[in-house]
Amino acid sequence: MNTQRVWFAFFIVLALTLNFGFFVGEIDNPLHHNPYELFFALVVSLIATVLKIGDRSHLGAVLLATSLVADLQLIVAAVMWGYAAQVTGEVSVSVMASIVSLAGGAMLANITSVILLIAETIQLKR
Amino acid sequence: MKFNMRRRSRIRGAAMWLLLLELRTPLITLIVTYSISVLGLILIPGVTPEGAAYHLSFLDAFYLVSYTATTIGFGETPYPFTPSQKLWMLFVMYSTVIAWLYAIGSVLTLLSDPAFRRLRSYQRSVSRIHGVRDPYWIVCGYGGAGSQLIRFLDQSGSRCVMIEVNAARADAARLSDLSYQLTILVGDVAEPQTLVDAGVQRALCRGVLALTDHDQVNLTVATNTRILAPRVAVYARSATDANTRNLRSFDTEVVVDPFRVAARSVTQFIRRPNAYALYHELVDPDLNQIEVVEVPVAGHWILCATGRMAETIVEAFVREQIPFYLVSSRSTVIQGDWPWIEGVGTEAQTLREARISEAVGIVAGTDDDGDNLSILLTAQSENPTLITVARRNKPTSEPVFGQGHFDCVLREGRIIAQEMYARLTTPLLHQFLGQLETMPEALVDGIIEKLNARLAGDRPELAHFDLTLDGKEAPGVIPFLQTVMTPKLGDLLVDPGLDHPSMPLICLLLIRLNGDQVPFPGDGLPLEEGDRLLIWGAMGAHHRLHFLVRRVDLFETVLSAQHQKTA
Repeated sequence: MNTQRVWFAFFIVLALTLNFGFFVGEIDNPLHHNPYELFFALVVSLIATVLKIGDRSHLGAVLLATSLVADLQLIVAAVMWGYAAQVTGEVSVSVMASIVSLAGGAMLANITSVILLIAETIQLKR
Repeated sequence: MKFNMRRRSRIRGAAMWLLLLELRTPLITLIVTYSISVLGLILIPGVTPEGAAYHLSFLDAFYLVSYTATTIGFGETPYPFTPSQKLWMLFVMYSTVIAWLYAIGSVLTLLSDPAFRRLRSYQRSVSRIHGVRDPYWIVCGYGGAGSQLIRFLDQSGSRCVMIEVNAARADAARLSDLSYQLTILVGDVAEPQTLVDAGVQRALCRGVLALTDHDQVNLTVATNTRILAPRVAVYARSATDANTRNLRSFDTEVVVDPFRVAARSVTQFIRRPNAYALYHELVDPDLNQIEVVEVPVAGHWILCATGRMAETIVEAFVREQIPFYLVSSRSTVIQGDWPWIEGVGTEAQTLREARISEAVGIVAGTDDDGDNLSILLTAQSENPTLITVARRNKPTSEPVFGQGHFDCVLREGRIIAQEMYARLTTPLLHQFLGQLETMPEALVDGIIEKLNARLAGDRPELAHFDLTLDGKEAPGVIPFLQTVMTPKLGDLLVDPGLDHPSMPLICLLLIRLNGDQVPFPGDGLPLEEGDRLLIWGAMGAHHRLHFLVRRVDLFETVLSAQHQKTA
């Protein structure tokens, strides 16, 4: 068992699960979406991105790209939420819907990432 | 730190990847410390001045951590901290600042790592080579030959890319005084990837010059180039006959054996001084004068030589039937029926045994510069009229050999550079030199006399160039070629100015479109379209010639004036 591979898979899967946890619920209901969950989803996604750096194979490049997409979507969602809460002073229903849909997009990227991880694992010869 | 040098094919961007790879741990450390710090600040309750409990927002927390981590420290916002918040802030300060220092330290360590810097400079060279838009030669090895040849090529406007394995020599190459910035790749030229990185497979690569001091390396370069880029010409240095045959067996364009060339040069210097002088003026861009040293025909020579130099020079002297005494150590004895004296030649006694007082000249050809100088100085004191031929081994000994008043100095690097330069610049010159080998000495003397007559006592710097009679190079001449005017060779070498005096130029070789060669053609030879001419004479006169052959009106005036003269 390779400890490095464990951490690698752990963070990639955790990024997806946290992302999913934030995403589920009514799209425009702030009560269904926990800000802490978004925070952790973003942090874990950033760590996953850094872990993916350094693999110069084609698969490695695609994995890195999916992670960068997820980061981008989550950062935009977080910034939007912060702006709405602090500057506008009110998180409206439409803003909440946008934040959750951005997180949904990030989730798609994370799903791709996990699928690639699974595909790579299945190809491994024992 | 480990560099995977075998994957240089993807060298571009490798340094960037390496940097990111090294930054993985510091980056993760930063992310984790930041997120823990932010989370802690949000979870720990604060107190407003009115006494109400509140929690920092994500924005406030991130803002606070950011200015703390970067040691800016704006203070406690939005309200003064409670003791529990202060405790947490202590953790935030130390952990984030340390995380930053760790990250910056890692970057600086990597940037100053010698291996990383080598990789970066290699990468920069590779990307520069691949950005070059002019044709270039790849020169392998910055030794005596390499440095000389790069200078020669620069004088004729050709560019080079240098591959050198030795970092100290590469630094010397960086200081070379050229009209362009020489691109230097520090790497092992015997590795195929180095050649690929040097751009051997690009269409702009004109040829590979394998000039390292090691035959085996030159051979590897030649074979690798044959396979990697079959259309690229290979010019190689070879110091043994076996290696020369090996290189020739797979169509290496030019193989230069410095020992054979040196031996040939010495016998040419003795038996055919005019051909020797003409040859060296033509192949050496630094030598712009004809200097003929008259060597007495009668009398014997003393050869002090070791190793391969002794073999080749004895062979050449035997072939040319020049009488000689061989002075060599016992280890380099060569069988044959010629007088042999054991010794180095640095002692007067040895030289006296070789009957130095009656000798014509002496060749100091050992592989030690100190010995060579000692031989020549001893010989000169024994017989001041002696003709001296010196062999210079190390380029660093040049000052003493240059000032030593020797009649002929054999410099290995320069010999190779000259031989290759003659073949690189114009194919016409190479063909002419082939004919010069067998040309009778009287004819060569005639060529020099003819030029001297045209120079009329001046001693300008000499140069050679080639001219093709086609629509591109000589549009002024083409319209008259098929007419009754029948321009002759002599009409070209005429000053377009007043009175049309003949220019200080002569034609050494004319090659017809069908391949017929006319060496040293007379002025009355009619010109044809597609003729290629090798012209030699005063530097500067070729500007006037180029001017003349481009202008129809000028050439017509010259032609009619010439016709009137003959009529």
